[in-house]
Amino acid sequence: MRFGRISKAVGVAAVAALALSACAGNTGTTPTSAAAGKQGGNATVVEVNAFSSFNQGSADGNSDINGNISYITHSGFFYVDDKLNVVHNDKFGKYEKVSDDPLTVKYTVNEGVKWSDGEAIDAGDLLLSWAANSGYYDDADADAKTGTTYFTTAADTSGLNLTEFPEVGDDGRSITLKYAKPFADWEIAFDMDLPAHVVAKKGGLADEKALIDLLKKTPRGDAKAPKVNAELKKVADFWNHGFDTKTLPSDPSLYLSSGPYIVKSVEQDASMTLVKNKDYTWGPEAHLDEITIRYIGSAPAAVQALKNGEADVIAPQPSADTLEQLKALQSQGMTTESFGELAYDHLDLNFSGPFKDKKVREAFMKTVPRQDIVDKIVKKLDPNAKPLDSELFLPSQAKYADSVKNNGSANYASVDIAGAKELLAGATPEIKIMYNKDNPNRVDAFSLIRESATKAGFKIVDGGLGASDWSGTLGDGSYDATIFGWINSGVGVSGVPQIFKSTGGSNFNGFKSAEADKLMDELIVTTDKGKQDDLTAQIDKQIWDEAYGVPLFQTVGVAAFSDRITGVKSSPAQRGVWWNVWDWQVK
Amino acid sequence: MLTYIVRRLVTAALILLGASFLVYLLTAASGDPLAEFRASNAPNRDQLMAARSNLLDLDTPAPIRYFKWLAGASQCLIPFAGTCDLGRNTANQPITAALGHALIQTLTLVTAATVLAILVGITLGIITALRQYSTLDYGVTFMAFLFFSLPIFWVAVLLKEFGAIGFNNFLRNPEIPLPAAIGIGAALGLVAAIIAGGDPKRRALIGGVVFAVVTAVLIYFSVTLWFKTPGLGPVVIGIAGVGLAYAVTLLTAGLKNRKALQSALIAVGVGLVAYFAIQPLLNQATFLMIVLLAIATVLVGVAIGYLVGGYDRGQSMRSAAITSFLVGFLIVLDRFMQAWPTYFDNSRVRGRPIATIGASTPNIEGDFWVVSLDSFTHLILPTSALVLISLAGYTRFTRASMLEIMNMDYIRTARAKGLSERTVVMRHAFRNALIPIATIVAFDIGGLIGGAVITETVFSVRGMGFLFLDGIQHVDPNPVMGVFICVAITAMVFNLIADLAYSALDPRVRVKA
Repeated sequence: MRFGRISKAVGVAAVAALALSACAGNTGTTPTSAAAGKQGGNATVVEVNAFSSFNQGSADGNSDINGNISYITHSGFFYVDDKLNVVHNDKFGKYEKVSDDPLTVKYTVNEGVKWSDGEAIDAGDLLLSWAANSGYYDDADADAKTGTTYFTTAADTSGLNLTEFPEVGDDGRSITLKYAKPFADWEIAFDMDLPAHVVAKKGGLADEKALIDLLKKTPRGDAKAPKVNAELKKVADFWNHGFDTKTLPSDPSLYLSSGPYIVKSVEQDASMTLVKNKDYTWGPEAHLDEITIRYIGSAPAAVQALKNGEADVIAPQPSADTLEQLKALQSQGMTTESFGELAYDHLDLNFSGPFKDKKVREAFMKTVPRQDIVDKIVKKLDPNAKPLDSELFLPSQAKYADSVKNNGSANYASVDIAGAKELLAGATPEIKIMYNKDNPNRVDAFSLIRESATKAGFKIVDGGLGASDWSGTLGDGSYDATIFGWINSGVGVSGVPQIFKSTGGSNFNGFKSAEADKLMDELIVTTDKGKQDDLTAQIDKQIWDEAYGVPLFQTVGVAAFSDRITGVKSSPAQRGVWWNVWDWQVK
Repeated sequence: MLTYIVRRLVTAALILLGASFLVYLLTAASGDPLAEFRASNAPNRDQLMAARSNLLDLDTPAPIRYFKWLAGASQCLIPFAGTCDLGRNTANQPITAALGHALIQTLTLVTAATVLAILVGITLGIITALRQYSTLDYGVTFMAFLFFSLPIFWVAVLLKEFGAIGFNNFLRNPEIPLPAAIGIGAALGLVAAIIAGGDPKRRALIGGVVFAVVTAVLIYFSVTLWFKTPGLGPVVIGIAGVGLAYAVTLLTAGLKNRKALQSALIAVGVGLVAYFAIQPLLNQATFLMIVLLAIATVLVGVAIGYLVGGYDRGQSMRSAAITSFLVGFLIVLDRFMQAWPTYFDNSRVRGRPIATIGASTPNIEGDFWVVSLDSFTHLILPTSALVLISLAGYTRFTRASMLEIMNMDYIRTARAKGLSERTVVMRHAFRNALIPIATIVAFDIGGLIGGAVITETVFSVRGMGFLFLDGIQHVDPNPVMGVFICVAITAMVFNLIADLAYSALDPRVRVKA
């Protein structure tokens, strides 16, 4: 509507420009009263990317912004707080481990919890979520190029794939998942997803009941005997792409809400406005009446928008300049918070070539000036930054301090050139270090490491590659050491074997420790949080003992908000500042 | 002529085909589309990679993918079939939809800027040519090159800092301290003295008058808090209208043509009456109404000129029409100013009207005037930035072209036969000087839609440039090709138009068909 009028305006551009009327559009809705006090009011939040899908769970819709929108328009059994704890939302429903052997988890949605169209949230919705995120029906064989992948989910299906078809109970409000073997991350493996009655109807079925029946009667997919289920494929195709949109769909069922907010209007690639979901009582109560999200790609533009009052909350990509500008705003009452993100940079040593010998690895690790690297790269963003001493825990996690004490990282706390020389015993190995030379932080880290390692007798070869090339060479043996970043999963332990197990998909340096493998095998079937922490700490120690390499520093994130808004709290977890959206208030 | 056009079109189609193939392959080879997953430690890394390569159809080699794309794209040639398929981007949006949106965004951003740059640039070019090697000439040349050499992102950031944030802060309490008023007055007076030309006495006089007027006006603004409740009022419109009437007549007919001057002045009088008559109507304004009113205004002007008549009716009609249009513009401007306090106090604007990002305030509510003001406050900064840096080209080009013409034999002849300087400049020189400029303008319009990438980024407008960059970043040829096709076609069409216009304007280069 709006842009139709603009395009007309463009047609008579000359007049338009003169008459200051290049744009017209007057879609009236009731204005929100700018109420004082705790309840009511509005806030404008800046996001980097533009919204593109109401299904953040699909592989194509899986972006930060879609995830954030989904987070504030959907309720679920749990959320993750700023200390990386899993918080259960008992007002929505409850879930509990019913049995350890076999691992059985029961999810029950409370009565009265409903979608914004009035339809109750029940087992059908849970079943759809399970079907979409378990890969239960897939019979695709990636190598042979046969079979079908129905739901192209962005989630890791390895956990839910262990479950049998769930049992429905409690008047159709609960499902029970039975795992074939214990799964460590059961607590975060499953949550609510999209409305089943909408997916069923749009996917060509009569109603939600038909969908449940379809899911019930379709057997687990077998890659050896692939068979296409056309009905399910249609449903899955709708789930995969039916929610993709850059504008507000004319059919409101595509953006039903079960959370504190509901989408009111969308301006393609410019902004999105959400208002309070008035039915919502099953979770923390929101204060703001309205939240507007605007998309600003460049960090300096976001800072200026904050300064000009066009934005209230921003979380730009931090750089020394951005931070300096934000600091200057503090005198105007704005708040800036720096915090450690889940991502961290690290130096990995290949367990082959010159580093085959553990002594050489240890010697090299002794030369890495971790404190200097932090001082030079991170301190300007976060004055309290310290070198990261664990590959598995982050400082914001409770177990970090404990694990760091025992994992042997203290041996590498400061540069020890003499110790390194002793270990090398006169040898001068040639080391090729690969890194992304388009990332200034990695270049700085490389220079500092080169300078220090050369003193101990290492001959350092600069193996830096361009932004689009470096990641392709990971694990191909064309270098001896590499500097790059991992993302700690923060919550859950499934990510650990991916990197550190000898067969792990992201184990690029050939790290192999029988002891660590054994511990990880145990870890992924341990369902108790305390025991998980103990095992992870033991693995952490193994990683250091085997001279894997060194973690360097946690990446710094920054969030800033205006003096109009209180209650915003940055978090390293995936949802960033959004995690406690219900606590946001206007002053 | 026809065969020439056909020949050109056929060549254009072939070039487009070859170039699109090349661009497709280059984009596909520009990086690793799976780079973002390669260094990932997500447990489902392989699953995500498979989904992405499926989405981008990476299993098919790029040259074959091109032909798949071409098969879809060629359906765009069938008119009204709605089968146009340019593929989808990584957010699963059809490229045709993305292009449509981006095109409007970009055009909104650059249209006003281009038109203004052309108008101001040509005017400055002519004036500097007529006053070659004067202080004004050197001044304009210096400024033009200064702005030309400034990086746009820097200009834009400065504009935001002072034009938006600083000005909004000023608006909170729009009082101009006396020294500032005198300072600004003195600066403008100095500029006026430089521009004025003539002997030192005349310059000093003009400079002094400007200084006095500007300072007085600023003090008046400050005392009445004019910036909070701006407005022109009938008196200012009347005075400005008379001034405009003289200026327009001077340019179109010459002040010696008393009938033309009369018509222009009558048009101003009618405009003043209309000012009062039309206010209730303007309260219900829509965009269409303003356009219709503009047309009506011009027609009224024409009618006035016709009725006044005189020995050259056309000249009277022209000057009256232009004058009434300009007076109409002043009336609309005044109405915008009346709407300013409403806009200023709007709960979405919160007293900070000049915006730094986007094309409108989200969820703004109000009548035509408020919503248009909102567009205006969003477009003023990017437009100023674009005008500043693109001014230099037009100024210099017009100046050179005009100088060349002014030294032609036929200009000497025209002077020798006793034509007034106005006729020589406006009728003999200016029109011929426009011929090469018409070509430049056509080229520029061709390059318009792809040319504001940085401005788009700085002002957070997601137009063609963003679409292009996004495609490159994801190593996804589809959006890149969409942008390429649009830019290439407009460039080719406008090149053709430039050539045709040249032959139409200048009989000497007419192609023998």
